[in-house]
Amino acid sequence: MLDFLFTGWGAFWMTLFMLVPFAFMFFYVIHRKSVVDSGPSGSPDKKMSRLEGIWLTVVFVVFVGVNLASLKFMPTIASAHAATTRTDIQNIDLSAKSWAYELSSREIEAGRPVRFSGRSTDTMHGFAVYHPDGRMLFTMMLMPGLSKPTSLVHTFNEPGKYKVRCLEYCGVAHHAMQDELTIVKSN
Amino acid sequence: MSIASAIIQNTPIFGKMFTVDKSTGLEEINAWPALMIMASFVWLAIAGLLGFVMPATQIFDLDTGHFYTTLTLHGAALAFPFSFQLMMGVGLHRSGGCVGKAVTGVFPALAFITMNLGAALLTVAVLMGLKVSLIVMYPLPIVGAQMGIWSMNSVILGFTGIYLVLACMILCYPILVLKMLFFGTKRPELVLSERSLNDPGMVGMTLSALTLLIAGTPLVIVGTTVLFALYGVIPMTMAAWATEPVVFQYAFFIFAHNLMEAMALMVMSAMYATLPLYLADGTRKLFSNRIANAALWILLLTSITSFLHHFITLYPNQPASLSYWGNIMSWGTGIGAALSIFTVLATVWQHGLRAEPGIIAVLAGFVLYILDGASAMVTSNIAWAFQLHGTMWQSGHTMTVIVAMSMMWMGVLYHHYPVITGRKLDPVLGVWFVRLFAVGGIGAALSMLAGGAAGMPRRFAAWNQEGWMIYGNLILFFGLILGASFVVYAYSLLKSRDISSPVVHQVAAA
Repeated sequence: MLDFLFTGWGAFWMTLFMLVPFAFMFFYVIHRKSVVDSGPSGSPDKKMSRLEGIWLTVVFVVFVGVNLASLKFMPTIASAHAATTRTDIQNIDLSAKSWAYELSSREIEAGRPVRFSGRSTDTMHGFAVYHPDGRMLFTMMLMPGLSKPTSLVHTFNEPGKYKVRCLEYCGVAHHAMQDELTIVKSN
Repeated sequence: MSIASAIIQNTPIFGKMFTVDKSTGLEEINAWPALMIMASFVWLAIAGLLGFVMPATQIFDLDTGHFYTTLTLHGAALAFPFSFQLMMGVGLHRSGGCVGKAVTGVFPALAFITMNLGAALLTVAVLMGLKVSLIVMYPLPIVGAQMGIWSMNSVILGFTGIYLVLACMILCYPILVLKMLFFGTKRPELVLSERSLNDPGMVGMTLSALTLLIAGTPLVIVGTTVLFALYGVIPMTMAAWATEPVVFQYAFFIFAHNLMEAMALMVMSAMYATLPLYLADGTRKLFSNRIANAALWILLLTSITSFLHHFITLYPNQPASLSYWGNIMSWGTGIGAALSIFTVLATVWQHGLRAEPGIIAVLAGFVLYILDGASAMVTSNIAWAFQLHGTMWQSGHTMTVIVAMSMMWMGVLYHHYPVITGRKLDPVLGVWFVRLFAVGGIGAALSMLAGGAAGMPRRFAAWNQEGWMIYGNLILFFGLILGASFVVYAYSLLKSRDISSPVVHQVAAA
């Protein structure tokens, strides 16, 4: 379930999870106290304080829980871990210039981590990799003028053709700035 | 008659909506604010119509250049001369009436001129060919000129316009607010509803002005240097440090992010000031001023450094530790929101509510604001950021926060409109405004978020792939409903009647 939660659609459902109960609660209170019975409720202060405490506790627990659960899915952690524990990292250097990429290789072995190291030579660019089924796997921001490349380690598990798109607006042909990676079965 | 009142009176159509009632003797707190509000609606009309061009270029396969032109104009116009200027106008009227100080003199005029002249210059630059989106995307303006896509003259004009708009938001408006709150003598004849600086309604205003001033100072320094270099006042070599993309981008987002938070502080404080006036039992007080103020302070302190979430995907150039901090602080703003939610609901629960269109618009806008907050927190989590950054999720978030705050301000304006103009609004039209706005706003927000979840890129003139067109069609559909709500609001302003005349339901009469 966590594998789904920390995807694009998982983010959408998480947002609805936070919104929908709140919206129901909000509309209930507003409707009840403006249409059904607009008189003072006279709820004792102690009860309201307890409600406040429960509400803040629930919010805090959800916030902390979600963020702790997300640690495993943070590419920054995966990248750092792979850099220190794996010796079989494939390295792909890339540079972005309006409106095309230059990559040191477009063929990647499945099952082995690959480090993408990217630079921009002119303006802001992005390097976003999409699974063949259309979902985005990760994105990188490429800012010109930096001494270090933007870098990320990812492991592709399924062979196939993976689209690359620029997701940082870079001018009138931004939508045409695309490429393709071929993931092949491991030997 | 003040210059501001004269301009309003001589403006066709929009002037009729905001003509100031001089018989109250409150022209000094009404005229410049009314002019700012009127101007904001002019920009809303222009930018709103432009908003339909983007989906139209995709649905009818038109020139993609039109998409990027509209992208820049629609975004910039709605964020700054519409939303910020609306906040300025309503906020200045409120502060004038709360502290008894006039909104006259150099500063209101400067704030008005810099905002509107700046937006006009940027519009001309975009029509000359500059297509840089509302956040400039530096160094794209320079690179585009070097590639011959647009002229250097359009870059200089555009930068000048952007600089003037920033000068309004960072200098003119905050200095004016702080001047009114802390300096000068109170004039009892201008006081509508006396407030102290301990009231949540005033605390937010103070924090907002200080946030704009402080968070914007680095950008003023960088922007001034760049502008001087563009105009040849200083050699380009002296401006080299400011033209480094990383310097410009960080200075820009320290301000841009905190601009949204400052606007949130303002609108929260306006809600805290307005809600008590509509309580059914007439007590006119929040459930707890302590909790309300705590919410504002938590929002302020957590949001100052949460701007780091804009650069999460720049790893490792932005160290992971800073990204983690940005992640934590962004979710910290949610604690402030949780306290605001409790304050609002507890207040209504304890005291009951008179459900008039103005306050319902404010509360519906608050729901939209919380929807946006949830989407913002999600995308500022590092794991989700790497899957969502650069997609329509961000566009949905940006649009929703601006739309939500605008709805709240339009609700607050409903409340203040009779005092400014001496006329009252039809409640039936008000209810229709709220219904259409709520449906359009929530629908457009969820459509954009869904598009982002599906990987649909933002600022991207190629919707017809990977099944993204469905999201584009939904955005257009709900955008039309949102547009209809603005038309209803404008119609209600045009059809407003004198305070002394009996309420007639214009829709039924027609």
